[in-house]
Amino acid sequence: MIRTVNLTKKFGNLLVFEDVNFKIEKGERVVIIGPSGAGKSTFIRCLNFLEFPTSGDVYFEGKRIDKNSNLPAIRQRIGMVFQHFNLFPHLTALQNVTIAPIKVKKMSEKEANEIAMYYLSKVGLADRINHYPSQLSGGEKQRIAIARALAMKPDLMLFDEPTSALDVEMVKEVLDTIEKLAFEGMTMIVVTHEISFAKEVADRLIFMADHHIVEENTPSEFFAHPRTERAKKFLNKIVNI
Amino acid sequence: MHLWHNFSAIWRSVPFLLKGLPITLSLTGLSGLIGIGIGLALALMKISKNKLFRWFALIYIDLFRGTPLLLQIMIVYYALPLNIDAFSAAIIALSLNAAAYLAEIFRAGIESISKGQMEAALSVGMNYSQAMRYIIIPQTIRRIIPPTTNEIVALLKDTSLVMVIGLAEIVYKAKQIGSATANFLTPLMFAAILYLIFTIPLTRYAEKLERRFSRGD
Ligand SMILES: Nc1ncnc2c1ncn2[C@@H]1O[C@H](COP(=O)(O)OP(=O)(O)OP(=O)(O)O)[C@@H](O)[C@H]1O
Ligand SMILES: [Mg+2]
Repeated sequence: MIRTVNLTKKFGNLLVFEDVNFKIEKGERVVIIGPSGAGKSTFIRCLNFLEFPTSGDVYFEGKRIDKNSNLPAIRQRIGMVFQHFNLFPHLTALQNVTIAPIKVKKMSEKEANEIAMYYLSKVGLADRINHYPSQLSGGEKQRIAIARALAMKPDLMLFDEPTSALDVEMVKEVLDTIEKLAFEGMTMIVVTHEISFAKEVADRLIFMADHHIVEENTPSEFFAHPRTERAKKFLNKIVNI
Repeated sequence: MHLWHNFSAIWRSVPFLLKGLPITLSLTGLSGLIGIGIGLALALMKISKNKLFRWFALIYIDLFRGTPLLLQIMIVYYALPLNIDAFSAAIIALSLNAAAYLAEIFRAGIESISKGQMEAALSVGMNYSQAMRYIIIPQTIRRIIPPTTNEIVALLKDTSLVMVIGLAEIVYKAKQIGSATANFLTPLMFAAILYLIFTIPLTRYAEKLERRFSRGD
């Protein structure tokens, strides 16, 4: 589905990551974990070209993508959910979900509303459609954001710490929503520090640190028997919190 | 008796005072529109990547905000070799001045939209112009309408300064009536009321919008 070859990203002189070789197949669920500043966000943002890689290649369904590719067309097929939701504050929940189908896919309003209602029900918010983002809780906002991404019927979903900006009591509702998607077969890459979620959902876990993918394993193996010192050190820290 | 006599004289001169109104309003409207156009251009220059544009906008805004409007009006009319009538000179000075203030309002409005909004719009497949049109600009407009309205209110009041170059707007007319009737208090009060008829509703409107938009996001 998506593959990177020697992907490297620098911000000026700051090296974020280098020579990252990564691959995800259709239907796979990958969790990315790693210390703050390791470049997890930057990495997944390079996959839909919100961030332009400095060197190396990204292949989407076998085709190499770069600055000159039809990025809007590619991004329609890659949904993204952000840490801080980034809902459109001037639009209602329903409009947040329908705007891209209507303006990008040129769908009729009626058709877009039907699709939006389907996904809003799926995330359990059919009764919130006329609310503005400011009238919703964090967990509700994030579920609307998930519905917004799903309404474009993406082939791949990227989640960047979808629950780390939420109060604890709202984490579960969002993780449950993502889990449901996972079990329906959605291909996804999730940056998260939720250990039980990772064990439950992911086929594969990637540990990013010190500019590289340091370890790649099944989640249960990784948490039970980390192979590298770097991973052990990291796990000690997050388990102690 | 004396007061009544004065009052009726004033009452008769109200139509005379009102003759100043079209000038005040057309100065406000025209300078406001031109100021918005130039202000938008300056705001875009100030946030552009081009250093020359940024410098130009910076210096322009400093100059026009850092000197009295009265001085600017006099410079345009008396000092510049433009050979234009007082009305045109007033329009030029007022628009150039308003542009400097509006530019800062627009720049702040554009910059107040978080980077995440553009990213979210791109992530659902919008291209740059769709993202601007459906996501960024509507939010910017909401944020800049209230302060822009306030700026227009300020402009409306500032038009009174053009009396120094002999334009017969409201205050100029009031002063004429005052001289003719030897009573300045009443015509100047009338002039004040005339301004308030426009400024109070506009100010209230700006406040209402501000409240509504701050609830909307
Ligand atoms: N736009 C940018 N310009 C300059 N530096 C940046 C930019 N975005 C990120 N960085 C830097 O790149 C590094 C990696 O950032 P990134 O956000 O990808 O890390 P992360 O692993 O997602 O961390 P976190 O767990 O805190 O979200 C950090 O040092 C960060 O300061
Ligand atoms: Mg991050």
